[in-house]
Amino acid sequence: MVQVHFVAHDGTRTSVEAEAGTSIMAAAVANGIDGIVGECGGAAMCATCHVYLDPADAARVPDRAEIEEEMLDSAAAEVTGFSRLSCQITLEPGLDGLVVHLPQSQH
Amino acid sequence: MPLAPSNAEVSFDQLTLDPYPVYRRMRAETPVVRVESVKRTFLTKAAHTRLVKDNPELFSSNDPNTPMQPAFRAHTLMRKDGAAHRRERMAMQPSFTPKVIKSNWAEKYEAIAKDYIARLPQDGGVDLYRDLCGPVAARILAVILGIEDATDEQMMRWSQNLIDGAGNFAWRPGPFEVTDRANDEMNALFDRIAQRHLADPGPSAFSVMLNAKDPIPREQIYANLKIAIGGGINEPRDALATIVYGLLRDPGQFEEVRRQEAWDAAFEEGVRWVAPIQASSRLVLEDCQIGGWDIPKGDTVMTIQASSNRDEDVYENGEDFIVFRPSNPHQAFGSGPHHCAGANIARRTVGQIMLPLLFDAFPRMSLPDAEAVQWRGFGFRGPINLPVRLN
Repeated sequence: MVQVHFVAHDGTRTSVEAEAGTSIMAAAVANGIDGIVGECGGAAMCATCHVYLDPADAARVPDRAEIEEEMLDSAAAEVTGFSRLSCQITLEPGLDGLVVHLPQSQH
Repeated sequence: MPLAPSNAEVSFDQLTLDPYPVYRRMRAETPVVRVESVKRTFLTKAAHTRLVKDNPELFSSNDPNTPMQPAFRAHTLMRKDGAAHRRERMAMQPSFTPKVIKSNWAEKYEAIAKDYIARLPQDGGVDLYRDLCGPVAARILAVILGIEDATDEQMMRWSQNLIDGAGNFAWRPGPFEVTDRANDEMNALFDRIAQRHLADPGPSAFSVMLNAKDPIPREQIYANLKIAIGGGINEPRDALATIVYGLLRDPGQFEEVRRQEAWDAAFEEGVRWVAPIQASSRLVLEDCQIGGWDIPKGDTVMTIQASSNRDEDVYENGEDFIVFRPSNPHQAFGSGPHHCAGANIARRTVGQIMLPLLFDAFPRMSLPDAEAVQWRGFGFRGPINLPVRLN
């Protein structure tokens, strides 16, 4: 199992565990994390699973692919260098303990 | 495992007039069921419809041999998968993002909404469906697409023609003759205004597609515009009419919605309760199982999101319009790669602009006879009239 910590916009922290191979979006949805919607089911087609990587963790997450880059333009909240679509990040043991911050809104 | 049970009793007319009791029974008794009158395998549970929509590798949209092809004179993005679908969809996407909606469209929409509301007769009864819901949806769509030259009447007629043609599974010639004429009119308009968008780029969908660094072919740009016309009027129209109906029928709840300004929640509940797009088809690419039943390769399954949105496994009292639900994970906008591209626009225009403006203008609006409101549709559904008293 891989642990991820979600920090909501109001600072509330929720930690969940997911099977390796699950996306961060899927782990969030399965655990009822409100700040992640994932309307397109992980197809990088809606930008409602936008998260910000914690700066301390950014280096251990693989870079954005082109489709993710393109879709991030459609995110409702501000897009920064730490912005990611959480459906495009697969949880691997190397990402254990990852901290992601949630935007105020996904719409 | 056996094949899913067959239902030879349910008629297409029954599904068009009032499908909800049928779906309720299906969810309880035969959640996966072959419906002979529609020649499709219906999936009526939320888990199953989502599973299918989220797995395009197994459940394909790609089917060039539907009436959509002659109706639109194109193999459209609605019926493509993977990279081909993504490329055509992303060509329009920059017009529909939350940021562009906020910065470019919101103000224009508000002006349009106010204008159309102001045109309603100030006293007496009106049919809100005919006099407001349809025309305002048509005008807003014309603006975002960059085809403001089209009249409301043209937009609504083309939209209905395309829907009728795409649903012409009996392959009768009549509806295709009508779509041929509509296609000619639309193409002539697009040809006429393309130069203007090339000379003066803007945020509209037509302009964004024409002026892209690596544009999709012109015929696909036109096909995309037609898809937006065919699919962009009836949904906001029907959603608005449904929500107004739901609120007016329950004054206590309406009062609370107004007090909390819970328009977003009212919008989500309206589209959950009666999803404007009730069902979608997917072609099964490999033998598989759904809900313990064998689904053979080559079958066409229908995800009945109308039913999923009332699934007892997800919702308490799902048959009722209840704005203040603890959670509302409806599938009215679908899910997966074909998830509604207009979802953000719909939320903004109907939920955040139309509802508050309408009820601000007519705080005493009422529905004198809820029984007079008629509902229709299997694939697309909503009221077909909404006689209200404005004051």
